[in-house]
Amino acid sequence: MTKSMNNNEQPTFVESRRTFLKGTAYSVAGATLAAGVFKTVADTPAVADSKFTPTPKTLSFYPPLEEWDSFTELDGNDWKRGGTGRNGVQSADNPDGIQATEYMLVPTSCSNCEASCGLTAWVDLSTYKAGGQLAVRKYMGNPLHAGSRGRNCAKGYATQSQMYDPDRIPFPLMRAPGSKRGEGKWVRTTWDEAMAKIGKKMHDTLKVGDEISKKSIMYHVGRPNENGFGHRVPHSMGLDGYDSHTNICSAGARQGTIQWSNDDRNSPDWSNAKLIFLQSSHAADAGHYFQQAAGRIADARKKGAKLVVMDPRLSNSAGMADLWVPCWPGTETALYLYLANRILNETGIDGKSLVNHEFVKNWVNWDRLMKDREYLAYLVEKKYIKSVPAGDSYEEFITMIGEMYSPYTLDFVAEECRIEKRIVEKLYDMFIDAGARVATYIWRAGPIGHKGGWMIARSAFLPFVLRGAMAGDKGGVGLHHWHVISVNGKGDKAAQAGERPPKVDVWNEIAWPPEYPLSSYEMSHIMPHLLMDDEWRKKWNSKGLNVPEKLAVWIPRMYNPVWINPDGFRWIEALKREDKIEMSFNLSPTWSETNWYCDFILPVGLAGERHDQHSEATQPSRWLSFRNPALRVALEKMGWKPKDPTRATLEAHIKAGLGEVWEEVEFWANIMTHYVDPDGSLGVRKYWASKEDPTRAVTIPEWYQAAFDKLPNLKKAAKAAYPDSKYPNYEMMRDRGTWLEEDNIFKPQERPIKKVGDTYISHGHEYHKNDVRKDEFGVILAKDSHGKEKAIGVEVDGELMQGFHTLTKKLDFYCEWFKEWKWPEYAIPIYPTNKEDRKKMTHIVTQVHHDFMVKENDFALNTVFRLPYNIHTRSVNSKHLMEISQNHNPVWVYTEDAKRLGIKRGDAVKVTISDTVSGLESGYFIAMAVPTEGTMPGVLACSHHAGRWKLKNAVDIPGFEHKLGIMGVGAPLYEMTMDGKEGTLKPTQGIIDGMNENKDSWQFKEYNKDLDNIWWDGLSGSWQNAVAASHPDPIAGNHAWHQKVSMELAGKDDQIGDIYVNYDNNMKVYQAWRDKLTRPLDSTDTLRRPKHIKRPAVPLSDKAYSVNLI
Amino acid sequence: MNMMKQEIENRIAIYALISRLMLVEVDEAFLENIEKDETLLSFFPNYRDWNKRKELSNSELIEQYYNVDFTNLFLMHLVPYESFYTRDDQMIESGGDNPVVELYNDLDFRVELDTARVVSADHIGVELEFMYMLCTALQKALEVDDREGICELLEVQRAFLKEHLLEWTPLFLINAKRESRTPLYHDGSELALEFLLSDFEYVNEKLAQHCAAPSVEQ
Repeated sequence: MTKSMNNNEQPTFVESRRTFLKGTAYSVAGATLAAGVFKTVADTPAVADSKFTPTPKTLSFYPPLEEWDSFTELDGNDWKRGGTGRNGVQSADNPDGIQATEYMLVPTSCSNCEASCGLTAWVDLSTYKAGGQLAVRKYMGNPLHAGSRGRNCAKGYATQSQMYDPDRIPFPLMRAPGSKRGEGKWVRTTWDEAMAKIGKKMHDTLKVGDEISKKSIMYHVGRPNENGFGHRVPHSMGLDGYDSHTNICSAGARQGTIQWSNDDRNSPDWSNAKLIFLQSSHAADAGHYFQQAAGRIADARKKGAKLVVMDPRLSNSAGMADLWVPCWPGTETALYLYLANRILNETGIDGKSLVNHEFVKNWVNWDRLMKDREYLAYLVEKKYIKSVPAGDSYEEFITMIGEMYSPYTLDFVAEECRIEKRIVEKLYDMFIDAGARVATYIWRAGPIGHKGGWMIARSAFLPFVLRGAMAGDKGGVGLHHWHVISVNGKGDKAAQAGERPPKVDVWNEIAWPPEYPLSSYEMSHIMPHLLMDDEWRKKWNSKGLNVPEKLAVWIPRMYNPVWINPDGFRWIEALKREDKIEMSFNLSPTWSETNWYCDFILPVGLAGERHDQHSEATQPSRWLSFRNPALRVALEKMGWKPKDPTRATLEAHIKAGLGEVWEEVEFWANIMTHYVDPDGSLGVRKYWASKEDPTRAVTIPEWYQAAFDKLPNLKKAAKAAYPDSKYPNYEMMRDRGTWLEEDNIFKPQERPIKKVGDTYISHGHEYHKNDVRKDEFGVILAKDSHGKEKAIGVEVDGELMQGFHTLTKKLDFYCEWFKEWKWPEYAIPIYPTNKEDRKKMTHIVTQVHHDFMVKENDFALNTVFRLPYNIHTRSVNSKHLMEISQNHNPVWVYTEDAKRLGIKRGDAVKVTISDTVSGLESGYFIAMAVPTEGTMPGVLACSHHAGRWKLKNAVDIPGFEHKLGIMGVGAPLYEMTMDGKEGTLKPTQGIIDGMNENKDSWQFKEYNKDLDNIWWDGLSGSWQNAVAASHPDPIAGNHAWHQKVSMELAGKDDQIGDIYVNYDNNMKVYQAWRDKLTRPLDSTDTLRRPKHIKRPAVPLSDKAYSVNLI
Repeated sequence: MNMMKQEIENRIAIYALISRLMLVEVDEAFLENIEKDETLLSFFPNYRDWNKRKELSNSELIEQYYNVDFTNLFLMHLVPYESFYTRDDQMIESGGDNPVVELYNDLDFRVELDTARVVSADHIGVELEFMYMLCTALQKALEVDDREGICELLEVQRAFLKEHLLEWTPLFLINAKRESRTPLYHDGSELALEFLLSDFEYVNEKLAQHCAAPSVEQ
C-alpha cells in the first residue's frame, strides 16, 4: 500500500455545509474530534501462520473429540483484542503475539445440582510441561452430552471457583483429642489414620453381629448425584443403614407419583409439548434439572408451545409465562380437581367428550374400583358419591367420577385457591387446547411444602390422565424409571465375591419408624429427634421392637443436615452427644455447619475430582454421565502411574497440588478391604476386594468395566472403539464422559411381552408358560425362581404388554394398597370442599391454609423456592456464585399488606413461626422486607436456601503453615447460644472483614488474587431452617416446609440475620404431628411397609419386612 | 489540486465528527467544539435551536438526554454493525472472518476494540473513522504529490463507500433519525446520511477528473 497511509498528521481547517467541502475554515481539527480507535501495526503480520480460526463459525463451536487430548486454544485475555488477526500467535520470534495454551479436555459432569449436565475440565498442559503446576483452567460444557447438549448454567461453570476455593479443606481433619464436638479444635490427620480409626470402630460394631449392630451405622446421603453406589455401602455390610435427604426435598411429589404408577417421579417430554404447565419455578428457572429442562422448554416455545406457571410468587418463569396462576399455597389440589370436573362434565367445541377414553379405559385401573363394591359403599358413606353405581362398566365409572368431582366448581376454586376466575378459566382453555401434549414436572413447591402435599401431586396427574397426557407419549408425561440408568453400584463382577450381597434381615426404625409405614423415603429429618426421644423408643420396644438407642457411626456424605434440615439446634444437640452418636465423619468437599460437629472431615472431590455414573430422567431417553477426576486422567494420559492403583485419584490430587482430596469409590473399596474387614471374617471384604487381585481393593477401571457391562449398547460400542483394551467400557467413558443408551422412548408400557415357544419374556426375564397365569383384570402373573408370584404385564385389547410399574400394571386411580394401609378416605384423588371437612380431612390440608390466618399480620410463608445460582448448601465455596446471589433473598411481601403494616422496602422485619397442629410458637428470624406485586396477598416468600453461618473465621491446624479459613466467601461470622431448650444466633462480622482478616490463609493465591475485591457482606438471609420445627407429613413422611408466620417491624435491637428458637417447643411440634396425625403400625399388621414400593434402599428380606407387635 | 487539499481537510473533519458522534457518548468538550464553530453548528439546525439547551447545562443535557439517546440508538434498540445488515442470519461477525476486518488488515490498520468499546470492527463509528483515516492518508499523499497514491486512495475510498458504508448505513441512519429522541442525534444521523451520499459522488467525480482508467483498475 502507499507510503502515505500511516501518516497521522492532521489538517487544520474545513469548509461549510451543503456542499460540505467548500467554504470557510472550521475552527476545529478533525484529529480533535476523532475518537482514535485505529492504530497501525505494520511490523506484525496481520494473519500469522497458525491453525487458529480467527473466530468460530458458530456459537456452538467445540473442539472435536479427536483433539480433546491435546487442543491448543488462544488465551481469552488477548482474544478480545482481535484474535490472531492482529498479533499472531506468541512464539520466540513473536513475543507480543497471543498466548496459545495446550489443554487436555477431560470430560466429567456437574455435581452441583442433580441434573448432571456434561462438563469438560480444561487441564492446562502448557504450564505443566513448562514446569508449573497441573491445574484446571476452566470448565466448559460437553457437547456430546445428550441431556445438556453442551450447555451449562452458572452453577456448572462455577465448578472452577469451587475447585480453587481459598478455604478448601486440603487434607483430612480430625477433632482434636480431648476437645468436645463443636469446640472447633482440629488436627491434621491422614487418610490412613482416619481409615484405621473409623474402620476399627465399624469393624467392632459389625463384629457383634446382633440385630442392633446392623442398625448402628448410618450412611446419610445428601444429593447423591450417582446411581446406586451409596446404597451398596451399607448393603455390603449387611446393614439397614441408609438415610437419604429426600424427605426434606421431594418425597411429597414422589408419594403422589408412587400411588399412581409405583414410580419415583414423572418425566416429561418438554420439547414436543404444546403446553408447558409448571407448578412452581422448578424446571424453568431454578430447580430440578433446570438447565436441561429450560432448554427443552425454550425449544418447545420456539415451536409455539404456551407456558403456564402456577406459583404464589412471580418467579422468573412466571414472569415470562403466557399465564401466571398465583394460587394460595397448598390448595393446588382444588384447582386440579376443578380441571378434572370440567374435563369429565363438559364437551369440546366439537361436542365430543374431553376424556381420552381409549387411554383411560385401557390404562387406568377403573375396573378394580368398580369391582370393589364395599369400597364404593364407603365412598357413599364419605359422601364422595351419592350412590353405588348399579353396574361395573367403564361408562358407569366415568359417570361416577364425573359426579364425584362436580363440587370442584369455578366459584369454589376461586375462593379456595384465591385466584381470579378469569385466570382459572384461561388456564382450563389452554389445558384443553393442548390435547394430550401437556408436559409437567410435579416436584417441589406444593408437594413438599404442606401437610398432605403429596395429594397435590396425586390430584395433579388426574387431569393429565383423563386427557391421555400420562401415556408417556410425545409431548406428554412419562415416568422416571423409563428414562434413567442405574449401574453405579453394579460393579459386583469386579469384586472377589462376583455377585450382589444378599438381602439384609433387619429393619431400622431410625430410618423407618413404625408411625410412617408409607413414608416415601427415610425419615431422616427427624433422625436426631428419634435418637433423643427416649419415651418413643421405650414405647415401641415395649411392643416388641428393637429400636436402637444410639448410632455407633454416623456418616454424612456431601451433606449438611445441621443447616438444611428443619430444627437445626436439635441436630446440633444430637451431634454433640457422644453417647448418642459415638463416631461421625463427613465425606465432604467443603466446610459446613455439620462438619463443625463431626469427628472427622474427609475431603472428597468435586465435579472434576471423582468418579460416578450419574443419570437422570430429563427427557424421553436414557443417557448417563461419567464423572472423571480431571487431574488424574490427565496425569495418567501423560504417562504418570500411581504407586497404588487403588488410590490413584488421591495420589494424583496430591501430585497436582490440589490437596489430599479423594473420592468415595476408592475410599470405600480401600477402607472395607483393609480396615473394616481386613481378614474377611465379617463377610464384607469380598464385596470390595478385587477379583483380579484379592490382596487389594478393586480399582476404578475394574469396577466401571463391570458396571458398564450391564448396558448392552455401551458395551458393544466400547468394544468396537477400544478393541485392544482390557477395560474398553471404562476407557470409552473416561474419554467421552457421557453415553446415550437409548433414545426416543415413548409409551414403553405398550412394549409387548414376547412369547418364544413355551417361554414368556418380560423386562429381559424369562418365564415358562406353566408358571404364568392371567387374573380377572388381565394382569399377567408369573412365578419367579423362588416360587413367588409377581405381575409381569397386562393384557390390553388382546395384546400382552409390559404395562406400568404398579401391581395392577395400570395407572392406579384407585390405590387399593393405600386403602389397606389404613388410609381408605385418600385412596383416590380427593380434597375437602368446606371448613368442616377440612378439619376432618386434616391430613391433606396444608398447615398454612387461609383458615389459619386470623390476625392481620398472619401470613403463609413460602420457603421452598430455589435461587437459580445457589445449590442448597453446596455453593458457599464459590466466590462467583456468592457474588451474584447477594441480597437476593429478602422477605417478599405484597405491597398492600406491607402498606397496612407500615413496612417499607429494606425494613428489618421479625418473622415469627407458629405451628397450626400443636399451637406452639417456634421462634423468629429477622430479615429484610421487600414489598412487591410479585407475591400474592397474604403470602410471604423467603427462600430457605440462604443464611449460612460460621462460628469462627479460621482454625489453627497444628503443623499447617497458616490458618485454615472457613467458608470465607459465603458465610458471615455469628455468635451462638444454646441451652438445651432455646437457641440464638447473631451476626457479628460480615464477609468483607472476615476475608480481609484472613488474607494470609487464602489458598490457590494466583486464582484468588481478586478476593480483595469482595464487595458483598453476606447478610442477605437468615438461618430460618433452624427456627422451623420438623413437620413430618403423616403419610408421605416428608417435612412440610411452609410455615404459618406473623410479621412485624423488627425492634431496635434486632439485626437482620438474628434468630431465636425455642427448640424445646419444636420437639413438641414434631411429637404433635407424629401423635395427632399418623396411623402407626399395630398388632394387626404383619408387614412394616408394602413390599412393592421401591424403598428401603438396601434390599431387605421377608424377615426384615415382617412385624409382630404386641 | 489546491482546491482538493481544502476539500480533503473538510472531509477529514466531517468524518471525524460523525464517527465520534456514533462511536461513544458525547462529552462537554465535544459539544463545545461544535457549538463554538458556526459552520459545524449549522449542520445541527434543530440542535442549535433546541430550547432545552437554554434551560440546562451541557453536563445535565448529557446525563439526562444525550446518554439516554445514545444508549437507545447504539447499544440497545438498533444494531449499528454492518454484518447485522448484510448477513442472512443477522448475526454480528465479531472475529477475523468479518470482511471489513479483512480489509482493515489488508491495509495494515488494526481496530482497538477495547478503546472503541464495540464488539466488532464493522461498527458504524469505526467504519466512519476508517474513512477519516483514509482521508488523512489522502491528505498526506496530496502534500507530497504522490499521484499514484492519491488515485489508489480515492479508489479504496470509493470501494469502501460503495461496498460497505452505503450498503447498510442509509437504512441504519434513517432508523436512527426516526428513533432518536434528541435533536443532536436526529441532526447527526441526517448529517451522516447526506454527507455519505454526497461524498460518494465527490469521490467518483475526483476519480474521473484525476485518475485515468488504467490507474483506477489497479
